[in-house]
Amino acid sequence: MKTHFLLLSCLATAPAASLLAQPAFEGPAPSTAFVARPELRRAAYYQRIDEVLAWRVGQLKPTDALLPDMGAIAAKLARHEDADLCSRSVIAQMKEPGSGPFWMFPVVSVAFLGRDQLSPEARQAIRTAWSSGMQLRGDTENHWAMYYTSLYLMAELYPNEPGTSWYTGKSSAENLAEARGYLIHWMDLATTIGQGEFTCSHYIGEYAIPMLFLSSWAQDPAMRQRGHLMLDWLFADQFANSLNGVLHGANARTDDVAVIERWNCLSSFFSWLLLGNTPPPAGYGGWGVYFAAAAKNYELPEVIYRIGVDRDQDFLQRDLKRTRRRWRNSDVFMAPIYKQNYTRRDYAVGSYQGGMSDPIQTHIWDVTWAVPDPRGKHNTMFSMNPVSAAFDMQTYFTEFPDHMMQGVTREGKASYDSADKLLGGSRFEQVFQDHDTVIALYDIPPGTRFPHVNGFFSKDLVNLTVDPSGWIFAQGGNTYLAYRPLAGYELLPVAAIKSSFTGERIPSGDQRLYSPHLKNGTIVQAASADEFKDFAAFKAAIIALPLTFSLEPVPTVKLKTLRGREVVVTYGSAPVVDGSAVDYSKWKLFEGPYLNAEKGSRKLTLTHGRLQRVLDFNTLTITDSVTP
Amino acid sequence: MNKSATAIFLLALLAAAPAAAEHDLFLCAAINKNYVIGSKLVTPNGLFRRLADGTFEHFGLNFPGILNFSTDPRDGRVFYMATLNGCVLTSDGGKTWRIGTSWDMTEPKDVCVDPGAPDHIYLALPDGIAVSPDRGATWPRRETGLPDRGKYTQTIEVDRTKAGRVLAGCESGIYLTEDGAQTWRRVFPAKATVDDIQQSPHDPKLWLAVTQSDGAQLSRDGGLTWDMIAGVPADQALYNAAFDRTNPQRLAIASWVHGVLVSEDGGRTWTARNPGLPDQHVFKVGIDPDNGRLYASLHQNFISVSDDFGRTWRNAGLEGSTVYNFVFVPKAAK
Repeated sequence: MKTHFLLLSCLATAPAASLLAQPAFEGPAPSTAFVARPELRRAAYYQRIDEVLAWRVGQLKPTDALLPDMGAIAAKLARHEDADLCSRSVIAQMKEPGSGPFWMFPVVSVAFLGRDQLSPEARQAIRTAWSSGMQLRGDTENHWAMYYTSLYLMAELYPNEPGTSWYTGKSSAENLAEARGYLIHWMDLATTIGQGEFTCSHYIGEYAIPMLFLSSWAQDPAMRQRGHLMLDWLFADQFANSLNGVLHGANARTDDVAVIERWNCLSSFFSWLLLGNTPPPAGYGGWGVYFAAAAKNYELPEVIYRIGVDRDQDFLQRDLKRTRRRWRNSDVFMAPIYKQNYTRRDYAVGSYQGGMSDPIQTHIWDVTWAVPDPRGKHNTMFSMNPVSAAFDMQTYFTEFPDHMMQGVTREGKASYDSADKLLGGSRFEQVFQDHDTVIALYDIPPGTRFPHVNGFFSKDLVNLTVDPSGWIFAQGGNTYLAYRPLAGYELLPVAAIKSSFTGERIPSGDQRLYSPHLKNGTIVQAASADEFKDFAAFKAAIIALPLTFSLEPVPTVKLKTLRGREVVVTYGSAPVVDGSAVDYSKWKLFEGPYLNAEKGSRKLTLTHGRLQRVLDFNTLTITDSVTP
Repeated sequence: MNKSATAIFLLALLAAAPAAAEHDLFLCAAINKNYVIGSKLVTPNGLFRRLADGTFEHFGLNFPGILNFSTDPRDGRVFYMATLNGCVLTSDGGKTWRIGTSWDMTEPKDVCVDPGAPDHIYLALPDGIAVSPDRGATWPRRETGLPDRGKYTQTIEVDRTKAGRVLAGCESGIYLTEDGAQTWRRVFPAKATVDDIQQSPHDPKLWLAVTQSDGAQLSRDGGLTWDMIAGVPADQALYNAAFDRTNPQRLAIASWVHGVLVSEDGGRTWTARNPGLPDQHVFKVGIDPDNGRLYASLHQNFISVSDDFGRTWRNAGLEGSTVYNFVFVPKAAK
């Protein structure tokens, strides 16, 4: 177990010289080493919180008569600065309220941070804004987490008021009951059959921030405890799926940028803030300020910190998740997702069984390798079918079929209807993973829009070699990679999407393996470089693996993996490992060395070494213990 | 002008003037091309009413998620809206509102007051059907007879001749209840969602349904049996349908791909009437029951209107709008 003591002197290098700078974003990558002393971790955590808030208020011009947005007001209030300016700014902001959960939760943060700082007039302006314009509830689970947490907290803040004083037309008590009912329902789902929007690169914020608010400000101790439990639950899951703080696949939802530059997302903000082991994204991920503004109310439990940072062995974690609600085109309302990740010092391999957990932003599998500084690095490898279809959209959205394709491209999903996209899942992909072997098979019906496979080959790979055997070899960081396309292909340059909102593209230096065959497949085998004498030895070992495959009538692969497992994977059938069919129905909610929970249990046990924390939603208890 | 000439002129004017409108036109519409959830609403959305000069005026909530609404025939100030947030209702003409449903009902696509039992309101949900028996105070689900899967409900329409007789357009077909939604039975199996069902104003036994994959369907026996209309393409989704109260031979259908489809012979033959429209992506059509004027909403465009049943079109305003529904309400209900 590696131990590293962060120098106290580091703590003094708070945001000092330039208030406009983002020290952690612009400076050297932080150490990934474990910090044993809790008081040092705590001090560094506080320093990072202060850095975010200092940067946010540093964006303001001294000549500004008013603060420009709720983020600036929240940062000021969190620093207990300029209450009068904050009050005047709130009054100005509340004259034109926004319309939905992304407006509601920032206002909640200001309402609570400003309880003892804002003027009566400013607080009344907030209250009035919640009585007039209708707030949109949205249509996704993250919308609802934000919406109902916000409504819950505001209803508690303003109790005993009639329906005429709320935009819902319902009394404070009715709003409270409805919001509580949904939040408990959502927590029940997440803690019995799995989270719907799991290990998201960005949407983690849309859950973590509301849960922090709930755990900080709910008056009902039961709801406050629920918020705390859920926050621990979310972070434990997120950090178990991160490699040196960088979230890897599979992801219920990610975006065009983070799917290749794995670090560049809000999840990295949380890793930076809570683990301190990776740089934060630019602007601290945008929403980061709202978490930071209340973050001193939360302390990451040591067991989760260690799960995220202190790994002295390879581990395999298997989890049960679920898809988003399927309104139609499906035999089930929410399909189970069988997710796993195999993580080693040098790389992580993550996947679920295929299909779409989300219609647009699913990322089914990848190999992500460790890099000393993840900024700008495309440290990942995967393949996918870039289908776009109204059928898929209608499965998850309650809309008519035709206008959605163009609609989603305006809402931060720029690539959705693009043949060269690298983001998204497919009904026509089935994935099998055994440790660091992935077999992805495709059976794409004729007539499918974009009936091909895209494989991602990073600019950061070295020693990229197309071998006569059919394998493609490469090295990423300290990871050797072998990629076997099962059908013909060509390698094309990637014009990567720079912004998911504008769709602006830039040549990235990456390559896209384009394979225009309906019956198709990908095999990827990863290994650490230090397992082999050299790259040539790795290649020889891969070429020597017994492998047979066919594509008709459906793709099927028989392979002895590098780890000695004999696997038979056939599209449409249960995979067979060493003669036994994989039975996903037996998967637990969490199973691995760090996270364990039975399906339906509402109870998660976190373990690291001698430390154990049990998050129990049945009893609303958090139980810490240390093995003697 | 002498007195007699003046009198003749006035008489001529009176003769030429249209009969007083018996219906008000309301729109459920959004003008929100670049809107994303959370941003400030800089354009009006929600309910609009047609003014005397033919322009449209926004009233009530500025809310982009209002898809349909239905009024209480006893009191036009009481109405119910199918919205993103659930069923929103008012009893004072829109001065105050209440979200009638709770978290367990989202995104209803249609709402319909039973004219024969106006305390009963039927709500089409993405995961089934709810019925309020008490003017929106409570919303129990009423799904006996609906399949566990395939009950996505896009449209719900009450038979105006019999209280508690209702047709629902679902993913798996058209379902009928004759006992106020205590039980449902499928009367037409569909491959994909049934998007709209309308009852003829001329013959209550005549119903027209449009679908996503089964074309247009006509029933002449009150919805018990259905026949595909041969002249309407079935290759693409059809969004809604309308009867012309002024002329039983006239029907219209909206289609994103085919535009405005009309029939002037009771549905035997159909013609696309799109020249003059700004584009062909027609979201909804409506026919004014007072004068047969044909309205077409194009997705995020202006409303188009035709006085000759689609042969020519003119701009009726509301630039950038998508009309989710044209709702004609008898003035007597006000």
